[in-house]
Amino acid sequence: MVDGLSRLACVRVECFAAAAVERCEPGLREQPLAVVTGAPPVTRVVEANAGARAAGVRPGLAEAEALVRCPTLVRRPASPEAETAARHALLEACLAVSPRLEDAAPGLVHADLAGLERLFGDDTEIGRRFRRHARAVGLEARVGIAGTRAAAGVAARVGPPVHVLAPGGERAALATVALGALEWRAELAATFARWGLATLGDLGALPRHGVGARLGPAGLAAHDLAVGVDRTPFRVWTPPPFWEEAQGLDWEIDTVPALVPVLERVLARLCARLAVAHLLIEVLEVRFALVSGGHHARSVALAAPLGEAGPIVALLALEIEASPPPAAVTGVAVSARVVPRQAVPGGLWRPPVPAPRDLATVLTRLTLLVGGANVGTPVLVDSHRPDDYTLAPFDGHAAEDDAPSAERGGETTASAVAGPLALRRLRPPRPVQVDTHDGRPARVRDASGLDAVIETAAGPWRLSGRWWDTPAWAHDEWDIALPDHTVWRLSHDRLNNQWLLTALYD
Amino acid sequence: MLIDRLLRQGAITELVGPLSSGRTSVLTLCLRAATRRGACAALVDVDHTFDPGSAAAAGVDLRRVLWVRGEGRRHDALKAVDLLARCPGFALVALDVGESAPRLPLDAAFRLRQAARRSGVALLVLGARRVVGGAAALSVRTRHDRLAWVGSGPVPHRLAGMRTGLHVVRKQGAPWSGKAERLWWTA
Repeated sequence: MVDGLSRLACVRVECFAAAAVERCEPGLREQPLAVVTGAPPVTRVVEANAGARAAGVRPGLAEAEALVRCPTLVRRPASPEAETAARHALLEACLAVSPRLEDAAPGLVHADLAGLERLFGDDTEIGRRFRRHARAVGLEARVGIAGTRAAAGVAARVGPPVHVLAPGGERAALATVALGALEWRAELAATFARWGLATLGDLGALPRHGVGARLGPAGLAAHDLAVGVDRTPFRVWTPPPFWEEAQGLDWEIDTVPALVPVLERVLARLCARLAVAHLLIEVLEVRFALVSGGHHARSVALAAPLGEAGPIVALLALEIEASPPPAAVTGVAVSARVVPRQAVPGGLWRPPVPAPRDLATVLTRLTLLVGGANVGTPVLVDSHRPDDYTLAPFDGHAAEDDAPSAERGGETTASAVAGPLALRRLRPPRPVQVDTHDGRPARVRDASGLDAVIETAAGPWRLSGRWWDTPAWAHDEWDIALPDHTVWRLSHDRLNNQWLLTALYD
Repeated sequence: MLIDRLLRQGAITELVGPLSSGRTSVLTLCLRAATRRGACAALVDVDHTFDPGSAAAAGVDLRRVLWVRGEGRRHDALKAVDLLARCPGFALVALDVGESAPRLPLDAAFRLRQAARRSGVALLVLGARRVVGGAAALSVRTRHDRLAWVGSGPVPHRLAGMRTGLHVVRKQGAPWSGKAERLWWTA
């Protein structure tokens, strides 16, 4: 009902199935395009873009007839994956403007505009914003704004791309809209013509119960549309916890290099959607539909959340090369687990840290270069075992909440203590042969030519752990100085009776 | 401060010396200085020798350290340093080239210097001998000075510390007096 207070927008993408295909192949926007379904010779047009419609191509035509009407017509098979992805993309684009949305139909979104004028300005500006966000995800939308969804829906079909109906004036505005400007079922349109109705105002002037008695539910819906009344509740759409983008292929792809451009396009569309919603990809799963009827899925966890397609495609390409699909691919779908994009203002008194975007790109490239297992921040394991650590993903902002401490070390004078002596680890430890004297190491030798008398040896320090479990360990550690002025940490594995050089004091 | 003289934004400092001369301890000192004031540091470790335990004991905030392990692949490590040097926001990018690293090609060294200059990163190159050449603004050689042991009787109980001498080999506008410095490290 029109209450004079509520404002609702209808965001509509015309010829939606064709728009979904154009979104996957932007080059088709300039050409007459028909989306077809069915096997020859009974292939029929299910949707046509504006160029094709101008040439007389309409949904329902046989493909052959459409070709006669428009010889340059480009045909593409209907792609449910592309339509689903485009439908979600439109919803997500609208979500960047209004938090209350209704997924009315493919390519048709209703949005509640309550409170948005304080954020974005008047209705026209809000409508423009909807269009901008839709364009960012590859869809050209028309926007109608009115007091009801029905009136907004009509406004989105006729008039300028952003069509605002003044509050309280919806019925008067609708009354002038020609019935021919809207799409009706053929039998309904014929009845309206037979009754001599020319505009929505004519239809709205008829008694509702009478129209319902003669035309049934379709007639009632048409009458409600004519007078701009909503009879159904607003069903709020909840965004899914994961984001998907997919594309069906007209032909089978059986090589990885040929798959990469397809992945690039699909990911670029997904990233455009995420950019609108201020989200970044944390984990990505790619799923290939195979010609054999099966599926092949791979998952990539990113070292840092990313919002750019380029680095992710490179990672995916590596992953697919390592584990290629077992059969030719007929469809590609990517699904992303996302995290909010964080603006990091930093502190006035803090030193600068790498910008999240720069850092994510660098980390991805480093991962490609040296492998994910070799990039990260070291985390010590709570254990007595020497050199026990793990690598965690590096996040330059993780420690931001901690106040930086004043640095007092490093201010050295000629006699000052600069700090603890650092170790250089030998990984893996270097096996050596050790001669002992009175239970202390006296000489050390190894296969690489090391043969030295130990000048000084301090120790042993007895360490052991996990004696209750299978990977039990027990070491005696010594600090030894050799004649070449090197100081080593020597370890005697008591369980295997093996001597190892584990580290060097440096 | 020693650290301020060693690390200069937008310039390369080279720290060379034989094994057990204290160069890794100086690197740890630099990592501590960078991370304790809240900045991020990156270490590209060609031979996988960095010891997080002794670094943490020295006061390095490991959460602010990005560790890239080269697993012996010097070419990849050099590319990694090049990437990091071009990423503004790191206060320190250190490259530990290991023990037997060949000298960097002249173009690669000056490319690194240019990258550091543009991003304002302090680049520290650590090795047994000089590899950066004329691209380094400062080259410092570490020298084993003396060892100290603790314990009574003929055999010591433990290593007490080590003294390192720092000698400037090359300076290009760097604020260094030219006098050798000595640092004590406790074990």
